[in-house]
Amino acid sequence: MKKILINRDFILFSIILIGLIGVGFANPLFVTPKSISDVLTDTSILIILALSQMIVILIRAIDLSVASNLALSGMLISLLSTVHPELPVYYFIALSCLIGTFLGVLNGISIAILKVPFIVTTLGTLSIYRGLIYFVSAGKQVYSNAFSEDFLALIHVKFLSLSFLFWLAVAVFIVIYILLNHTRFGRNLYSLGGNPDAAKYIGINENKYIIMAYSLSGFFAGLCGYLWVARYSVASTQIAIGFELTVISACVVGGISVMGGVGTVLGCVLGALLIGLIRNALPAVDISQFWQLAISGAIILLAIIINTKTEQRKEKTIMVEN
Amino acid sequence: MVVCLYMKLELKKISKFFPGIKALQNVDFNLKQNSIHALLGENGAGKSTLVKILCGVYQPDEGSIYLDTKKHIISDPTSSLQLGISAIHQESVMFDELSVMENIFIGNHIVKKNRLVDWSAMEKKTKDLLSNLEADIQPNEKIKDLSIAQRHIVQISRSLVHDADIVIMDEPTASLSQKEIEELYSIIRNLKKQNKSIIFISHKLDEVLEICDEFTVLRDGEVINTDLISNTNKDQLITNMAGREISQIFPKKHVTIEQEILNVKNLYKKTQFKNINFNLRKKEILGFYGLVGSGRTEIMKSIFGITKLDEGEILFNDQKISITKPSDAIDQGIVYLSEERQQLGMTGLMSVKDNINMAIMDRNSNFYVMNTLKEIKNASAMQEKLNIKVSYWSQLTQSLSGGNQQKTVIAKWLSTKPKVLILDEPTKGIDVRSKSAVHEFMGELVEEGMSIMMISSELPEILGMCDRVVVMYKGLIRDILDVKKASSEQIVKLASGES
Repeated sequence: MKKILINRDFILFSIILIGLIGVGFANPLFVTPKSISDVLTDTSILIILALSQMIVILIRAIDLSVASNLALSGMLISLLSTVHPELPVYYFIALSCLIGTFLGVLNGISIAILKVPFIVTTLGTLSIYRGLIYFVSAGKQVYSNAFSEDFLALIHVKFLSLSFLFWLAVAVFIVIYILLNHTRFGRNLYSLGGNPDAAKYIGINENKYIIMAYSLSGFFAGLCGYLWVARYSVASTQIAIGFELTVISACVVGGISVMGGVGTVLGCVLGALLIGLIRNALPAVDISQFWQLAISGAIILLAIIINTKTEQRKEKTIMVEN
Repeated sequence: MVVCLYMKLELKKISKFFPGIKALQNVDFNLKQNSIHALLGENGAGKSTLVKILCGVYQPDEGSIYLDTKKHIISDPTSSLQLGISAIHQESVMFDELSVMENIFIGNHIVKKNRLVDWSAMEKKTKDLLSNLEADIQPNEKIKDLSIAQRHIVQISRSLVHDADIVIMDEPTASLSQKEIEELYSIIRNLKKQNKSIIFISHKLDEVLEICDEFTVLRDGEVINTDLISNTNKDQLITNMAGREISQIFPKKHVTIEQEILNVKNLYKKTQFKNINFNLRKKEILGFYGLVGSGRTEIMKSIFGITKLDEGEILFNDQKISITKPSDAIDQGIVYLSEERQQLGMTGLMSVKDNINMAIMDRNSNFYVMNTLKEIKNASAMQEKLNIKVSYWSQLTQSLSGGNQQKTVIAKWLSTKPKVLILDEPTKGIDVRSKSAVHEFMGELVEEGMSIMMISSELPEILGMCDRVVVMYKGLIRDILDVKKASSEQIVKLASGES
């Protein structure tokens, strides 16, 4: 299986490369360093959210509330900024993460302690968190004039001609890679998703892991709340609406099994990159906006079909032939 | 033999009740250090309940547990592990997608000073462990690529890593070849030398007599006998376990077997079974005996259309038939009662009436609208016939006892008026009275003209109920025997792969 997974990541990487070359022929402007760096910047938030969604999917769950969480955290710090624009930017980032974590913990408690199924819980909080934005903002938008220069400038800082956003995504990739492959916590997530009953027998506390996974998902949603508002210089009730589906698609395309316990961190990032590439490339090769959604959907379905084909768990061998 | 009088584990007056069943009643169980203690009993005698109590999965309703003469409460699996109890389960409790070393260290990963997992240390230790056990397994192999014997060895290594003092082995040799069994024996004897205590559950009495020091026999949740192995013999153990004459429990009726109804030729499914040839005659009960995982269920599933055959043909009343999905089989009059009745046979949250009528919705409806009157008629006819104990028709099936659930599933399939009934372990895990009710009923069905194929792992049931028995081993038919002429030793020998 490991071979197939490595292959899988390799296949995904090849598809991205071929896609890039194909788009380059159709529109050479798309493959200039500047343009590629823009695509990477544009995909960074998706990468971060896909990585945190992966943690939840590994334990056979899903977090549908990430986009609402992101929007609510972003709105709350924006409202604070309208009153206290002078506060230092790290203060806003920390606060956004804190709010996101809190909202994530609520999901975790509902699922682990109150035993509300994860799909119901996060579908509920998807609406609740989105609804709370209307409540706190009275439906109004917060515009760029409400933010300090630092608040908006941080994410445009460049290093090696790549944006802060991109480097942040790289950092998150490294952190999650270490978390999932080199800590007890991460390995236990894999075992919990792979075989929950067996995990119970070896003494893994399922509830603790559910709450932790949703807290992490919330934390990164909160972080992206700041990133989103700073990048687009606006906070409104509508930001990132429906983005949770893009995030989940990225995970699925990246080979994270919704059956739990299977998937690599690299695959997840490649999945996000492929989705990001499609979203950016289709307009560049003059494909009508109306087709874009359908094409993205078709690619996701294709990925799932490939997943189920490669993933089919083997039947136990009873008979040794010859 | 080292006989040590030090009591490692004492269970005193343990009782456990489930709705309608006394799973364990006043069970006393003493396990010495450096001892291999056999836990014996027929299926449903209470062995697995006892194991689950020791593993912290169930809590006893009464009684207490002493470990090293101190009283303990095993409230969950974690505390069981911490107390040094480790179980090697019959069912897979491993992580198929993870590597061997990770399965060994799971929940117990070695970490470096910086709290990161130390993969290289784990790999090294895994290599040491496996080479000590003389096993040819690589630390990085995935569990799903291992054989059953290799999985056992990984589980044993896991309990060694946990430094368990008490190792419970639930039918560890059930699906191993003779050579693999010998290897496992030497591992078990090695564990004993390292001051471990072992609880050894097995249905194979010869191996119990060979390897164990002590034994305890359970029957219907009670301790029947406990003593040193040297003070007993095979016949005594059998009498202890069965406790009654075989002819009493199997009220087989005398019927005249008629013409052939089903004939399968050269069935083959890759990695599952091959060269499967047998026939079934009208009013016959044909047994399928073999170890768990010998391919019996897989054959039945493909005859019923759940899985696809790679090759072979099925003749029904001399006509070649093609079965690609279960509804094809049902239309022909072949039905299959799964071993896992709760997952595959019934919908616990639906009423008894709806469950009984589930397979004949088309016959009970007029233009796609259900005819409730017909449904109730059928349900009450079935209830009377099978003596299902329900308080009211809308009672949820999951609230019935195991025996009545099984009867409900049987009622569902009988409603389709089948000609061939396939029963997969029909009496597994139900109490003795329901068991004999099922057997009696099988006799009645055959009398009415039905033919039955029954998979069973209980030899007395096969010998008592069947006319002929198909003995399987690793996906192959070893022989088809006339039950009247076959001896139980002969069948057991064939089924365990000895020639």
